[in-house]
Amino acid sequence: MTGLGKLGGRTWVVTAAALIVLIVVNAVLQHNFLEPSVVQSNLTTFLPLVLVAIGQTYVILGGDIDLSVGAIVALVNVVTVTVIAAFGGDGTAVVLGLMIGMGVGAGCGLLNGLIIAGLRFQPIVTTFATSIVFSGLALWVLPQAGLPVPEPYWRTYAGTILGVPTVYVIYLLAFLLAAFLAARPFMTRLKAVGGLRAAAFQTGLDLGRLRVSAFVLSGLYGAFASLCLTGETASGDPLMGQSLAMSAISAVVLGGTALAGGVGGTLGSVLGALVVGMIGSVIFFAGLPFEYQTLVQGLIILAALAGGVLVTRR
Amino acid sequence: MQPVLRASDISKSFGAVRALDKARLTVERGEIHALLGANGCGKSTLCKIIAGTVGRDTGEVLIDGKAAALGSPRLAEAEGVALFYQELSLVPQLSVGENIFLGREPRERLGFTDRAAIARETEALIARVAAVAGKGFTPDARVADLTPDQRQLAEILKVLARQPKIIIFDEATATLDRRQVEVFFDILRELKAEGVSSIFISHRMDEVFAIADRITVMRNGQTVAEFAATETDRYAVVYAMVGETGAIAASVRDHRPLEGDARLVVEGARAARLGPVSFTARCGEILGLGGLQGQGQKALLAGLFGAEPFQSGHVSLDGVDVTAGRPADAMAHRIAYVSGDRGRDSALPGRSIFENTAIASLVRERRHVIPGALFRERFADVLAGLNTRYAGLDAPIGSLSGGNQQKVFISRWLSPAPGLLLLDDPTKGIDLGAKGDFYLLARKLADEGATVIIYSSEDSELLSLCDRVLVLNGGAITADLTGDRLTPFELTRASYGDAA
Repeated sequence: MTGLGKLGGRTWVVTAAALIVLIVVNAVLQHNFLEPSVVQSNLTTFLPLVLVAIGQTYVILGGDIDLSVGAIVALVNVVTVTVIAAFGGDGTAVVLGLMIGMGVGAGCGLLNGLIIAGLRFQPIVTTFATSIVFSGLALWVLPQAGLPVPEPYWRTYAGTILGVPTVYVIYLLAFLLAAFLAARPFMTRLKAVGGLRAAAFQTGLDLGRLRVSAFVLSGLYGAFASLCLTGETASGDPLMGQSLAMSAISAVVLGGTALAGGVGGTLGSVLGALVVGMIGSVIFFAGLPFEYQTLVQGLIILAALAGGVLVTRR
Repeated sequence: MQPVLRASDISKSFGAVRALDKARLTVERGEIHALLGANGCGKSTLCKIIAGTVGRDTGEVLIDGKAAALGSPRLAEAEGVALFYQELSLVPQLSVGENIFLGREPRERLGFTDRAAIARETEALIARVAAVAGKGFTPDARVADLTPDQRQLAEILKVLARQPKIIIFDEATATLDRRQVEVFFDILRELKAEGVSSIFISHRMDEVFAIADRITVMRNGQTVAEFAATETDRYAVVYAMVGETGAIAASVRDHRPLEGDARLVVEGARAARLGPVSFTARCGEILGLGGLQGQGQKALLAGLFGAEPFQSGHVSLDGVDVTAGRPADAMAHRIAYVSGDRGRDSALPGRSIFENTAIASLVRERRHVIPGALFRERFADVLAGLNTRYAGLDAPIGSLSGGNQQKVFISRWLSPAPGLLLLDDPTKGIDLGAKGDFYLLARKLADEGATVIIYSSEDSELLSLCDRVLVLNGGAITADLTGDRLTPFELTRASYGDAA
């Protein structure tokens, strides 16, 4: 096999290279870019996208797609802040809010999975429809942005745990969970389901359970992202996270996971999410007029995707 | 000693079709058992029932003397039965090792996959077939990067890793070359020495007598004979497959003598599992393609029509090169194709009968608009000529029975009449009356000068309709049967690659 051929299915190598280029460019544009406080602030900004991208990876590996994760983020946010407020805003209320928020995220994923794997609906249409349902529920729970979370919540998020910034602890926990799953047969079986469903069935794998599990993970990681965003905004917002689903799918693809399923992994998706985040950061510090920023950002993501595709196509 | 497998009184119907009628099969421990029969005799259905992929209506399967639960492939596997699939159970994106242990991965602490154990055990399995493994056949190799016969080897290893008592090999040697077949046989003999039994479906009589200990023959869903391989010969086996009535030499058909020059000339046609094959056909001839299912007949028809173009080779019709790169090329040369898989290959579902008939004219006559009145009259006449029963040209195609639908699909090609008509198992699932109309039409078109090539999964259809039958085996033409030699006996014998 040639050197280029070995890259087949390893788009993430290209993405890692793109990330290094972006870091260099950003460091030139922004002199204090590599200072610890700036690094931490950037990683805090990217964290929700990284989490959603990790969750989305499981769904895509299994041959499905989850467009509803942005709406799940909003729903988890409003449910969490509402629960915290309803129980008086003390420490117990916050813990209860976090638990219920995660439960809502996992529950939304379970619903997606049951409809798609159980009733055999098309994932793209189903999750588009459920995203409207989840958004509608979010608006019903909290019609207007507001309802602040208690100070300890966002102080802890912006602060440290045992001397380590909380954001880094969350990165670490998210990676540990991803690594734990990657080391178990679950990951290989999920790839089999997304790779060739007929073969996975002939081999006796429980396709339904694997696909539902992937959607639950996506919902759960969506909930993690939502709780982080809540730490940043410190209040409820039923319209939160609207662009997250599509950004995360771009990140997953940039990270070398095939949209058709069966090939890829979460490490690549993390790199992809960082690239998508850094592109926004580079454009901001390049001093482009505001009205061009989104256009240029779109074009750069498109170019990055094209680069990955061209390399893997040999 | 009691047999490892005893299946008795197994019956199974699919709708009105009785696939198995009190069939039986007994396999001793550590024997290689060949299961033979003509197309549609029920041997594949019987194997699927034993492997748990198809349920049975009645009957009993004993494994080691105990009633076996075979409700799903997983349950059958737990009972010690493994079915060898042709590549279908391998995931191309995963490695050889991951595929072999998929769903039953060895674990270490915390439930983590024991990758070292997978690598080690896969290595040991590969060592057993080292002689033919070829380059790059390692535990880490992605299945997508393997050659087709390495994939087949991986499939065999996957079955072996499950350490079954009984392995069912359905046409396992179909894609292997001579040397690989020898290695495959070595594996079978090794399994036999370990006390593992194999049920072996093959399309080659040579192979059956080279490897099998015992032979069971099926016909029309019933078990008709059981032989010890050393105490019988291939004639006795073929007679059992055909049955007494079928063995009568010359049939009472009125086939016209073949005369005139070849008008269709196929030279060196080659496709994925076909050829190269060369043959000719005359004006007014109905040429059958026979043999067991999946021996390249469909690939040949699809290639002639350009639906799956030949990789190489030439086709000429009346001296004109008609090697088709796509169906539109074939249509331009008055080549027509009707498939038995109506839903996949023919129907515009939800559309009217008129649209389903007129569609081919867009391409054949290079039209962009169909002149409604003119064409309605034209197709109403054609459909009436075929005894088609329908409410009106605007009724949806789905409102018709299978037989009447098939008449609609063939009527696409009748005005103007085709020069070469390709029929791919065209009467599958249609009623007897419609079949009769279909045969009459094929004969009429041939009499008017068309050449008709038909593949049928029913030998009786070929025997009653065709002037001549080419028998395919493993993608090659193994016999060219005409006149007195066009008998059930010769057809079955040639189907098993045992040409005179």
